Amino acid sequence: MEKLDLAATLSTPKICYCASSGILELSGESYPENSFEFYAPLISWLRQNLETLQSLQVNVNMTYMNSSSVKCILDILDILKESAARGRRISINWFYDRENSRALELAEEFGENLELPFNIIPTGG
Amino acid sequence: MHELAQLKEQFNKNGIMICFNGPFSQSIIEEIGKAVKTHLEREKIRKDAMLDVFAVYIEQMQNVKNYLSRTGYPAEVHDSAIMTIGRRDGRYVITSGNLTEKSDTAGVTRWIDTIKGLDDEGLKSLYKERIRKSHPPGARGAGVGLIDMARRASNRLSYVVEHIDDVFDFFILTAEI
Repeated sequence: MEKLDLAATLSTPKICYCASSGILELSGESYPENSFEFYAPLISWLRQNLETLQSLQVNVNMTYMNSSSVKCILDILDILKESAARGRRISINWFYDRENSRALELAEEFGENLELPFNIIPTGG
Repeated sequence: MHELAQLKEQFNKNGIMICFNGPFSQSIIEEIGKAVKTHLEREKIRKDAMLDVFAVYIEQMQNVKNYLSRTGYPAEVHDSAIMTIGRRDGRYVITSGNLTEKSDTAGVTRWIDTIKGLDDEGLKSLYKERIRKSHPPGARGAGVGLIDMARRASNRLSYVVEHIDDVFDFFILTAEI
């Protein structure tokens, strides 16, 4: 399996898959110059590897996403949803900052119609 | 008085805290973004208000940058924009100004007028509808970005169009939080 390990920058999140724990982590801020280009490697990694994995836990802890990043994350959630429908065990832990009133609403919007375990977990405060 | 001192006095009078004028890049957007955050942290405003100011600044700057980089005109003339962040009447005010082609000005002002006619629920459902639609890389225009700005600014968006010549306008967009 191809390695997936990107360090966070000011405008891009950390993206990392740990094979031993089976956890895919996305954390940080997301407002790259071109979100579609930035998320393309993650999308192709998911398309290549999801079917070979028994299960996958996705931990998302994004403190800020610009609108084109939101679009990319929705596309990624769609891929996870399709894969779950084909029998993969996929769950998502979505972390949000309880001091940010908009973050909970956004989390709930992401979780809508997803048809897989989507845990909204407050952090901070 | 030296013109720079005059400019500074004018900025102070208008409550402008941060200003950038010139050609800008993603890295400049990031660095100024960092300065915006540092500044707001010092003011000890609520965390969600701080994030709204930061988010509106990012969407606005990236919209302007994407637009200017797609027009294909010489960089030295058309990559240039001005942006200010300030405080006025207890609100944070983010303003950008850049050249737009007249035909594009009409499109963006129509879109802002549409957005301004919506309430919170209307904005939310338009956002959800638009964000789901495929958004090919290279698409022109600021569809979802402006809705996001409007949601965060409780729809306090306004624009001014200054006529430049037969081809160009100077388009000024203001968001208040």
